[in-house]
Amino acid sequence: MALIPTLVLAGIEKTLNSLLSRDPAAPSRLRRLAGQRILLHLESPSVALVIAYHHQGIDLMLAESLADQDYDAVVEIDAEALGALASGTDMERLMFEGRLAVRGRIQLLEATRDLLLDLDLDWEAEMAHWLGDTPAHQLAEGLRGLSRWGIRTQRELRADVSEYVFEEARWLPGRQQFESLRDLLIDLEQATDRVEARLTRLNRLLEPEESES
Amino acid sequence: MDKRTTHFGFQDVPVEEKASRVADVFHSVAARYDVMNDLMSFGIHRLWKRLTIERAGVRPGHTVLDIAGGTGDLALKFSRIVGPSGKVVLADINASMLNVGRDKLIDNGAGGNVEYVQANAECLPFPDNTFDCITIAFGLRNVTDKDKALASMARILKPGGRLLVLEFSKPNNPLLSKAYDEYSFRLLPRMGEMVAGDADSYRYLAESIRMHPDQQTLKAMMETAGLERVEFTNLTGGIVALHRGIKL
Repeated sequence: MALIPTLVLAGIEKTLNSLLSRDPAAPSRLRRLAGQRILLHLESPSVALVIAYHHQGIDLMLAESLADQDYDAVVEIDAEALGALASGTDMERLMFEGRLAVRGRIQLLEATRDLLLDLDLDWEAEMAHWLGDTPAHQLAEGLRGLSRWGIRTQRELRADVSEYVFEEARWLPGRQQFESLRDLLIDLEQATDRVEARLTRLNRLLEPEESES
Repeated sequence: MDKRTTHFGFQDVPVEEKASRVADVFHSVAARYDVMNDLMSFGIHRLWKRLTIERAGVRPGHTVLDIAGGTGDLALKFSRIVGPSGKVVLADINASMLNVGRDKLIDNGAGGNVEYVQANAECLPFPDNTFDCITIAFGLRNVTDKDKALASMARILKPGGRLLVLEFSKPNNPLLSKAYDEYSFRLLPRMGEMVAGDADSYRYLAESIRMHPDQQTLKAMMETAGLERVEFTNLTGGIVALHRGIKL
């Protein structure tokens, strides 16, 4: 059982280092970060991880020491906020909401996020390593063409479906109709509120007269 | 057992012969050592070593000694952790293993903060209170006088320093123990024959594991050597145990 977290971390570390080794921009970023360490306190599940940078990538380890002075930055975050951070949510916003706390060098966390989120993998060079330059280029061109076709087809399909639903079948209102209806409903809501307020006021005026009679 | 003999696997050999016999074993397997480790342990030895590194608690600036460091698996990772302000010493009694380890470390970019020392674990050539952490992974069972080696390690540890011993031990499940015996006495020498061209060395490996002290005995030996707060973690059902002690 003692080896399961170690196995998981080894897998994550290997994957990340493998991705970093395929990013042409990673070596210069890693050079700037080499030798620095982050202690990541993750809540639910409660885990303390060390992220240590070196010239070839990162080392991930379970933390043996929890003393702040042993690290360049200490980060406290829950799993949900970590997911939000990884998906590009602004760090300041998470800190302001109290879901992320950083002590030490905050720039280190920003640099970590940039390093992992801005990965620009050179798949063609990797394929060339295995297949040779010309076949790899042809395959990459084919894949790029397929990708462009996929994006174009998806865009066209969305436009066609939208046109059918809004214009031909008229199952849903168009954007302008929807916005006009929304404005009318807002006016109606405000008018109803005003009527309700007047009725309440009239009610209050009539109540003393009833009590006097 | 006669006072002038010691174990070499299941054989009793004169004390002065054991070191040279162990050296012959490792000279023979040095070139294929990493491949055989991966094959024999199905790659799990990498996880055992990772856990050792985690438990070592080494920090930038620390001085670390990896005894019987062989092909440098631990030293490579330690050299990254301690950084340019720290130092890692890779020590091995066997020159062939040390050469393989040095080449591997240089190939992997570890250089400036790593030193290589050919040394016998029983009489380590370092001043008292030198190291923040000492590790010995799969080496202690090959040492002729284990008590003397542990005392030597305790002497050169700084107060507060840690000694970690990663070594084969006794499985804690009878069924696993039976399967492990079958594997190590039947299959292992054949794998050694096929991959490293040396069945005898791997037969010695299986025998030396059986002759090595069990978890509790090694814990007591470390305490006798002067280490405190000694604890051990069984890994893979006790096939391997990681002992850790602190010099206070």
